[in-house]
Amino acid sequence: MSGLRITRRDLLSLFVSLSLAGPDTKVKPVPFFHVSPLKGVSFILRNSPTSRKYLIETMPGGVALLDYNNDGLLDILFVNGGHVRDPMVRPFSFDRHDPTYWNRLYRQNKDGSFTDVTERAGLANAGDTNYGMGVAVGDYDNDGFPDIYVTNFGKNILYHNNGDGTFTDVTAKAGVEAGGWSASAGFLDYDNDGKLDLFVTRYLDWSVEKSKTCGFETPTYCPPGDFPATTSILYHNRGDGTFEDVSVPSGIAARKGHGLGVAFADYDGDGHTDIFVANDATEQFLFHNNGNGTFTECGLDSGAALTANGKMPSGMGVVFQDYDNDGLPDLLITQLPHEPYVVYHNDGRGSFSAQELEAGFGVLSGRSSGWGIGLEDFDNDGWKDAFIVQGHVFDNVETYDNSLRYREPPLLALNHKGHFERADSGSDMPVAGRGAAFGDLNNDGWMDVVTTSLGERPQLYLNRGGKLHWLTITLRGIRSNRDGYGARVLVNGQVRFATATGSYLSSNDKRLHFGLGSAEIANIEIRWPSGIHQVLHGVKADQFIVIEESEQP
Amino acid sequence: MIHALLWAFLWLQMQSAEPPVPAEALTLLQSGLDAEQRHDLERAIASFRKAADLAPSAGIVFLRLGEAYMKKGDYTAAIPPLKHAAELNPDSLPAHQFLGYAFLAAGYAAEAIPHLELVHEYGALGIAQLQSGQPAEAVGNLRLALAKNPNDPDLLYYLGRAGTSLSAQSLDRLLSAFPDSARGHQAVGQNLFVMKMFPEAVKEYQMALALRPDLPGLRLELGQVYAASADWEKAEEQFRVETNLQPGNAEAAYRLGDALLQQGKLKEAAEELRLSDSLRPDMPETLYSLGRATAVTDPSAAEHALLRVIEVEKDASLAGKAYLALAGIHRKQGKIEQATREMQEVRRIQAANSRRAPTKQ
Repeated sequence: MSGLRITRRDLLSLFVSLSLAGPDTKVKPVPFFHVSPLKGVSFILRNSPTSRKYLIETMPGGVALLDYNNDGLLDILFVNGGHVRDPMVRPFSFDRHDPTYWNRLYRQNKDGSFTDVTERAGLANAGDTNYGMGVAVGDYDNDGFPDIYVTNFGKNILYHNNGDGTFTDVTAKAGVEAGGWSASAGFLDYDNDGKLDLFVTRYLDWSVEKSKTCGFETPTYCPPGDFPATTSILYHNRGDGTFEDVSVPSGIAARKGHGLGVAFADYDGDGHTDIFVANDATEQFLFHNNGNGTFTECGLDSGAALTANGKMPSGMGVVFQDYDNDGLPDLLITQLPHEPYVVYHNDGRGSFSAQELEAGFGVLSGRSSGWGIGLEDFDNDGWKDAFIVQGHVFDNVETYDNSLRYREPPLLALNHKGHFERADSGSDMPVAGRGAAFGDLNNDGWMDVVTTSLGERPQLYLNRGGKLHWLTITLRGIRSNRDGYGARVLVNGQVRFATATGSYLSSNDKRLHFGLGSAEIANIEIRWPSGIHQVLHGVKADQFIVIEESEQP
Repeated sequence: MIHALLWAFLWLQMQSAEPPVPAEALTLLQSGLDAEQRHDLERAIASFRKAADLAPSAGIVFLRLGEAYMKKGDYTAAIPPLKHAAELNPDSLPAHQFLGYAFLAAGYAAEAIPHLELVHEYGALGIAQLQSGQPAEAVGNLRLALAKNPNDPDLLYYLGRAGTSLSAQSLDRLLSAFPDSARGHQAVGQNLFVMKMFPEAVKEYQMALALRPDLPGLRLELGQVYAASADWEKAEEQFRVETNLQPGNAEAAYRLGDALLQQGKLKEAAEELRLSDSLRPDMPETLYSLGRATAVTDPSAAEHALLRVIEVEKDASLAGKAYLALAGIHRKQGKIEQATREMQEVRRIQAANSRRAPTKQ
């Protein structure tokens, strides 16, 4: 004992270590979102899982955020699956006449609650032979009211917005029913003629008769490679309420894949909107727009087809926006576990490189299965963050690999100058997540999320907000399409490509949201699809502005 | 192998000394041989059977009868006449050789062993020992047989199986004798890892570590469980301790480098991977990961590492991945033609490997 001496320094270090170790000294950060069901929304995504493991039943369903009645408040459309019998017997019906299986349109009220207007709007009963998948939104006839395109396993439906709170099924006249198994779709103006065209991904050549189960002792869903690949469809808008299927002459039909997700951006800055298709367990497709009505698929040669390890991603959801503020749109693709979600960084000169590890997704996503995805600046710091809904394809995946989970909470990853780090989304409730749509539901300048999950009610992730500044822009095209889809908008050094398309089966708020950080003034530069270049200086932050396309270039 | 032995046996049989055979039996034996030459095995067997009835002490007749059954593929029927032939003439090596093969082919591996041992048929003996639960002996004999026929696919296959079986046997002994030892938990952890029961495997490794925290290799295995679960932070932690325990272990350095790479810690990853490469040069996985870790920060180093992967791996799938990574580097540098050529290599190797891959059930 005589040799033992406790110095003041020892006591100090002991004190420091004790005070650091105490759990109550840590302040848990407040989650970003207040997570809750949507008030007044009773919709449940009915996928109808069966013992037969019909592949369709694990794939729905989309959600759209749109202001269908132009009252300034975002409304919500949910696409439902359908009733799948166990086993299915002829004549095959998904009972979509039954209100349980209807798609649902909810109008937002001024108090933030929602009212079901499905029947009144004419959107009830999406056809007994149609099992619902996704949704696209765009004003294809430039009348100022957003129209809705619903994809199905079966026939797709185009609903024209009549401008009086009702919709009319114009599919037959428009000629856009497609057929087969459609997944994500989106409106774009690929030929810059001022009229929105329509792109539809299709998953695979599947039918109830061709259905089979896989797995040994425990049957489960078969991988996409067990069914023939199929083509996506490009419809050209003739401008008279009809569309022409130009899949073959445009070159889109030259490649067969297992398309699930789609996103648009002009990745090489040539003024023409390009198309990216997220394929499941197939090479990803990057259709370069040649500017003459044709496309060249160049995924492999541009570095945006395979994972860094040379594997074919299980591409599901996709977003095509600039995550590292270098002005070039990049690609983020969700996929199945054991490989991170894919990040194709746009290196310029028309080439991409897989940079998921550099971006932080190696840590964030190796065990998860991702579907709907968005790149939005949730904290308004000037860097777009990622939000991904998750959940495995197999409802019995735990029996195959007990490190995986069928139900998972979503992933919120904040962007720190191009590197993503996990943050508390506000929900650790595991769900079989699928669709996700992004928009500012309460018009407070902070981006929110609506998600869907199989067999459950949708969730609202309402952003709690903060002190940083923002700007939200609504484009109004004159020579360009009225929605301004395809415009490149630069605000204080950040770029967004105007589109409602992205995520998985879903359609986002078409308004362009920018986080401005501490900046109270914004400079805006718009390159419209018409070629018009428009610049606005000294725009005040924290406002919603409508920018009409200028008459002169 | 069996056919060659049959013809060898015919010659040997002529040399053997046996009691005289009755003339009628000899005639039947001859007619049986003639029928055999005409590939009429049913008639041959009938003739040999009648000859055997007439000459019950003539080993050669029973041997021919057994041989005919074996030619017919009826190994079970071949056993009694061959057994009788061996009893009549215990020194007849062909009788033992045939009997050993007949027992083995009919599934009586243990009964085959003494006969095959007698004639030094190492390959068949090894197989019989493997099937009789003697993998250690099987490994020895199969290796002797492979020394003579190094590229025999059957022998290579059975040697692989014998090795696996030997490993399982010693692990079974370990688990039954010392279930609560560190090695016992490690063995269970390994099994659970193979079965993709990762959380359970982690528990076993943790129990092993509680008993012997400094046991080399334990943390390397535990880290791999975490890596398979894509829990890279925990994997890094385990690999880092392992590299401290075994600073000369190239695999530990590679695993640590890869865990760092997966987390996007490129500089640290490159350092560990370079260390691994210096400890064991030209390990293709290390070089590939080094190429990926340096692709953005030091493209020339990445190119060098990836070209070495291609040199080592030739047309294997890792070479395809290396070409893909090279194409990415060159595309970024604006060397589009070079990148295009490398992508052609990627496609060529992918096509070749997909042809080689087994078809899905």
